[in-house]
Amino acid sequence: MHEFSIALEIVDTLQLNGYLEGVKSVSEVKLNLGKYSGVDKNYLAFAFQNLNDERFKDVLLDFILNDGDEITIREILVD
Amino acid sequence: MLNSSQRRAGRSLLIQRNALETNDIIANKNKALFGKAFVMNFLSSPGSGKTSLLESIIPILKSDGFKVAVIEGDVETDLDKKRIDKLNVPAYQIITNGTCHLDARMVSGSLNSLDINGADIIFIENVGNLVCPTSFNLGEDIKAVVLSVTEGDDKPLKYPAAFYKSKVMIINKIDLLPVLDSDIAKIRENALSINKDMVIFETSCKNNSKAGNTYNNGLQDFISFIKDNVSLKVSVFKK
Repeated sequence: MHEFSIALEIVDTLQLNGYLEGVKSVSEVKLNLGKYSGVDKNYLAFAFQNLNDERFKDVLLDFILNDGDEITIREILVD
Repeated sequence: MLNSSQRRAGRSLLIQRNALETNDIIANKNKALFGKAFVMNFLSSPGSGKTSLLESIIPILKSDGFKVAVIEGDVETDLDKKRIDKLNVPAYQIITNGTCHLDARMVSGSLNSLDINGADIIFIENVGNLVCPTSFNLGEDIKAVVLSVTEGDDKPLKYPAAFYKSKVMIINKIDLLPVLDSDIAKIRENALSINKDMVIFETSCKNNSKAGNTYNNGLQDFISFIKDNVSLKVSVFKK
């Protein structure tokens, strides 16, 4: 279940780059996910639902699946 | 729960960033601390023979004048570190306490205690797991996947990420082939269908104390590969 670690990394990356400043909630996270990323999208969605972070309480994940091994944050919808 | 129109009411922020950026920042710091050392991150299922492989090749590398250090990763216990300690090389055990992989932060923490000064080669033995460790860059030069012949020839197809991301595959425990139905040609074919550039070695770690046996059990080819990469890393580092 390394998807929990990936979910935390995504939050850290958003935090580090200032995308969560003043944000009350994140309603959607759009990701590019490579088929060799080693990440299960259902487990990742489950991990986000169970993060101890109120801002992501109702988050929906949206994936564009592609070749390769990338895990890229494409876009987020915030309030 | 918000409905879709409520979701759309928010602001959209375009990001286009590596999701593991924070891990990779630390991995790059690790890489800088590794310096000229060639660093291999070993991935595999539990029991494939990663530690036995290290026990077999480290004495040879040491006798050839290479300075080696080892970072061990396990969910519990320092049993692997104790085995490596017997080889008289610096070793550090990361105990993840349930986490299924090593990440760059854990390795960074190990470098506060592990003596890598002047090391030519650093081996990182990841937690035994063919799925989770593949996602995390630790600052290594290459990932190497170890697959024992007892695991079956379909593993590259079942766990493709580990084989896609590894530059090297070591097919281990080939001494068991006479009593198994495993097909080495099929293992190779399946792995190369995932990663056509993969370098493949076939090894056994049995009876290595017998003089000259490394030439018969495939270890010598693997050791030569490591030595070539040490030289390459040093030449790149000097530039």
